[in-house]
Amino acid sequence: MTQAVADIYPVIFILALATFSIRLSGVLLGQRLPQSGRWARGLKALPGCLIISLVSVLVLSGGPREWLAGAVATAVALLSRSLPLTMATGIATIWLLRHFF
Amino acid sequence: MLKNTPNSPDDPNTLNIGNSPNIRNIRNRLGDPGHQSPDKESAAPLAPAEEGSSPDVFQEGSSVPRSEFWLGVLDISPLALGVAIYGLAFGLLAAQAAMDELETGVMGALVFAGSSQIVVVERLVAGAGAVSAVVAGIALNLRLLLVTASIREVFRGRPLWQQLLGAHLTTDENWALMLATRARGVTVGYWYLVGGGGALLVTWLIATVCGVLFASAIPEPRALGMDFAFTAAFIAIARSLWRGDLWPWLTSVAVVALVVLGKLLDPSHALVLGGVLGAVMASWRKEETA
Repeated sequence: MTQAVADIYPVIFILALATFSIRLSGVLLGQRLPQSGRWARGLKALPGCLIISLVSVLVLSGGPREWLAGAVATAVALLSRSLPLTMATGIATIWLLRHFF
Repeated sequence: MLKNTPNSPDDPNTLNIGNSPNIRNIRNRLGDPGHQSPDKESAAPLAPAEEGSSPDVFQEGSSVPRSEFWLGVLDISPLALGVAIYGLAFGLLAAQAAMDELETGVMGALVFAGSSQIVVVERLVAGAGAVSAVVAGIALNLRLLLVTASIREVFRGRPLWQQLLGAHLTTDENWALMLATRARGVTVGYWYLVGGGGALLVTWLIATVCGVLFASAIPEPRALGMDFAFTAAFIAIARSLWRGDLWPWLTSVAVVALVVLGKLLDPSHALVLGGVLGAVMASWRKEETA
């Protein structure tokens, strides 16, 4: 499981620089950013679409056990809206599935 | 730390990691330093701030910034608990990427955007190249542009160092908390934001480094199902980002399924492609769905 990443620092610094630039740009550009219209709609929708894409990648890369555990976690998230509870249920489900099925 | 999008802080869809009632109690006990001037203007997220519409009463306040700072720290504490759990999980992941405590700490302090850190490190552990991992992380952080832009009036007229500090310490959590507090009629501003952000930064650093240290005691994280912690975390986060518009998400899932199952592209590229095409779908659709 352990995989050495040759050098993590360039990754850290580039990500840090980009993230800080984004934050500061919001402060500096302010009103010039689109507040409505197509670009604003797209930008607002981007995080959710990226996260759901990531979930899809993670679940689809696994097997039936991951699919089932993903379904259980989704049900818990829908019902509880709780991050810790969803994580705990997901981990417990995958553990049970891997050990007993 | 991606638990809210630039929409409404009081959105019922907002991830529930333990919020308002206890916050209100704490504030009552303290004898609220916030001045009860309803400030609906600034409570509306993304509403263009009007010049001079909300004068910052704390600008030259003697002890007021301090109490506002500590109120921010107190109010953020239920959310900080969620961040701590998330941070522990990130530490476990970082250990799988062979990152040590120092690297994890430096990353947390400089990047300070949990969801992008997790995406980047998860992609690296999955064997993706550094470039596609970083592109995915940066794409995820683009939302922060709207977050800081929506509260730019908080930074107006402040010294440069305060603007830089405040920008770095703005996260989804303390941003949403500040807007939610204002929506209840409590005037809070810069130091409230910085108090919450500072508390989150400290929590994030401690939790992630503890996660790395703790991971060395776990011989095989996968056997405990820890690798699934992120999938579950992202499912919960996706739930909190749901805005009632199915088509963009359907587009994302379909694109990813096609690319991953058809083995057309590297999964990291599938992730960015699916996210961007979903956002394009959202921008094409006529109505505002937020």
